[in-house]
Amino acid sequence: MDQILHEVAFFLKQMMLTMVPFILAAQGTMLAGRTGVFNVATEGIMLTTASVGFIIAFQSNSILLGMVAAMLVGGLFGLVMAYMTTSLKLNQFVIGLAFFFLGTGISTLIPKLIFGVSLVQPVIPTLQNLPIPLLSKIPFLGDIFFNQNILVYVSVLVSLLLYYFLYRTSFGLEMRSVGENPKMADSLGINVFRQRYVAIIIGCMLIGLAGVYLPMVYTGTFTEQITKGRGWLASALCFFGGWRPLPILYGSLFFAGIEVLAYRVQIGTSAIPYQFLIMLPYVATIVVMVLTFKRSTTPKFLGSNYDREKRTL
Amino acid sequence: MEQNEVILQMVDICKAFDGNQALDHVNFELGAREIHGLLGGNGAGKTTLMNVLYGLYKQDSGDILLKGKKLRIASPRDAIRNGIGMVHQHFLQINNWSVVQNVVLGSSVQNKWTMNLAPEVAKLQKLCDRFAIDIDLQVEVGELPMGTRQKVEILKALYRGVDILILDEPTTNLTPQEVDALFVSLKVMVDEGLSIVFITHKLREVLSVCDRITLLRNGKNVTCMPRSEANEETLVRGMVGEDLNVKDSVIFSKEIREGTKIDEVVTPVLEVKGLRHVTEQGIERLKDVTFSIHPGEIFGIAGVAGNGQLELAETLVGVQSKAGGTIKYNGRELNMVTAELLQQGLTYIPEDRLGDGYLPKVNVAQNLILGAQHKQPYSKNGFIDWRKVFEASWEMIKEYNIKTSGPKDTAANLSGGNIQRVMIARAFSHVGDSLMLAHCPTRGLDIPSMDFVYKKLLARKMQGYATLLISEDLDELLLLCDRIGVMYRGELVGILHRSQFDKYEIGRMMSGVKS
Repeated sequence: MDQILHEVAFFLKQMMLTMVPFILAAQGTMLAGRTGVFNVATEGIMLTTASVGFIIAFQSNSILLGMVAAMLVGGLFGLVMAYMTTSLKLNQFVIGLAFFFLGTGISTLIPKLIFGVSLVQPVIPTLQNLPIPLLSKIPFLGDIFFNQNILVYVSVLVSLLLYYFLYRTSFGLEMRSVGENPKMADSLGINVFRQRYVAIIIGCMLIGLAGVYLPMVYTGTFTEQITKGRGWLASALCFFGGWRPLPILYGSLFFAGIEVLAYRVQIGTSAIPYQFLIMLPYVATIVVMVLTFKRSTTPKFLGSNYDREKRTL
Repeated sequence: MEQNEVILQMVDICKAFDGNQALDHVNFELGAREIHGLLGGNGAGKTTLMNVLYGLYKQDSGDILLKGKKLRIASPRDAIRNGIGMVHQHFLQINNWSVVQNVVLGSSVQNKWTMNLAPEVAKLQKLCDRFAIDIDLQVEVGELPMGTRQKVEILKALYRGVDILILDEPTTNLTPQEVDALFVSLKVMVDEGLSIVFITHKLREVLSVCDRITLLRNGKNVTCMPRSEANEETLVRGMVGEDLNVKDSVIFSKEIREGTKIDEVVTPVLEVKGLRHVTEQGIERLKDVTFSIHPGEIFGIAGVAGNGQLELAETLVGVQSKAGGTIKYNGRELNMVTAELLQQGLTYIPEDRLGDGYLPKVNVAQNLILGAQHKQPYSKNGFIDWRKVFEASWEMIKEYNIKTSGPKDTAANLSGGNIQRVMIARAFSHVGDSLMLAHCPTRGLDIPSMDFVYKKLLARKMQGYATLLISEDLDELLLLCDRIGVMYRGELVGILHRSQFDKYEIGRMMSGVKS
């Protein structure tokens, strides 16, 4: 009995740890999506920010500086992406894919330029757990939920804040209106461009944080393809959660659960091939989309640029 | 009406789209407490001019003066700040939001961080009382009928405290009763100190509600006169210019036509019985629709947009599947496969010309022969004879007055009205000998082109062909049809014969009252 309880606690704790990059990347993608910009570069941005964030943290010996750098690099990606899609009105998917490849390339290029090819991997200390006083002393649950690294708390907090912002404030109402009907928003005096710029940049900063989480918590170093498709899963998560912050939070927990399970299966010996498990989130997303297609909550103008003077016939 | 203080002037406004001069040195002025009609056919530049005023378009040259002061309007935000509001022809609303949310969106609410909208609701309620607007503020906008949704749009502008209200074709989609109610509330608004710009292409509306009328044609000023000096003759002449012989026209003809006598013995061209259609989402869009069309008859379908007209058209041509009922063409029940129907001589002009009837990236000639490409004379032994196609295209371009550089022009370069002309040209040049199904065929056309289409439709009728005309323009239906069926929420509420035509009766039926 004790053995099982211990197993469950360990599993749940791992799950909490693993959900963070999903949450941050998906909420970041969701935020831009709510203004009508579909960011498909999430994976590439995560890779670059993981790489740059790690290097800065390594060179400066400061985890915090690494995080800040990752968010700045993410924000920079966002700015350029916003400029190309919103101001230049270039196709969002073409730009997004280009950024994905660009980000993937940069992520391996920069470490090579800085460290050269070396046999010894540079390593940073991983993020320490930050037990919350009192709460972490709750038997069983305390250790699972309140003895985690800081970004676990931050990611949950970000989700709750985004929910409150989008659904309970007038600013959120304005932001959502841009993705539902940009022309209407414009005609009511809402600055569509500004809303999109803000949403993309803040969204990409969250994605940046998601990226740098990987070397800081999992490996302590940057390795090629460290994201392992988590950026693409973030896009899937957005649809899974209907582009709403709270369902995305729950979805992240589910996706994280599968990832932990897949990892356990991989190291143990099991009848289920782990390739099957890592496929599950995608399958789940498709199932959810099929089941909810009648009442889809996807923003109406997701993926389309807004041109005020374009004459609608 | 006495001379009023001028509050707004637009001077020498020019605006071009891709080299196409939409506004050519247009002047406009608005007096305080005035309802100013902005009249003109499609493509005259009315909406473009007002979009410039509202900051949606930026003028290439020209000035806007508000109370004598020059004003730079870069966005709708600037317009609203200066007390200018606009109600667009197509409502800009979010269906699953409440009326209050739609109205306050973009304005600064008192409780920004909690969205407790109680103060705004109170303010709106006061406005509603003052302007005699009757709306439940908490319902979702999507559930409201069109007339009420328009009130929501007007409320949006009033809530922002505008002094100048622009209404773009406000009577589209309203029943005649709702139009009357709108005119009453316009008078209330003017009494409360507002000035109103009323954009329309309907003469009668201008003459019944406006104090002054500015007439535009082809992006140029034609005339501006107080209503007391206006009469139908001069306005008609001004609207259509020299392109149309008013005496021969269908639109302005005073002649009273009788409806075609239906010979019950002859097999109807189209016989629809108990037709039902259910969407993928399980919503019933057509309920037990029954009617028939006989040779030499124009059968009209009236109704506020979105009451099942599109589903009816698409079910009849086989684009969507029916959930029940029978459809017979010339007495034979067909398998409802579009290709088969087309072979049977069906001609279809779809409502959504860009989505369903047009290839923007290929050239004009290919669009003109689309659907007839495998037939003589365009095709020989399976190969298209392009010389023949281009010859035929030139003829169509000339006959239908399509403004394009030629058959090789990319179709996307054409303006909306010209795209519609391509569709009309295609439909009438390769006309089948059975049924024509025309869904809003004159939308976006200027008056001479409209009249041209009317003549073609009447000529068809004279040749003994049958036509199903679905339209949102009640005047058009009253002008052309032998019988009109009125649709409401997927049901055919009633069918009136030409001798029973009455605008208000149809209006009642359009809002669901059975005759």
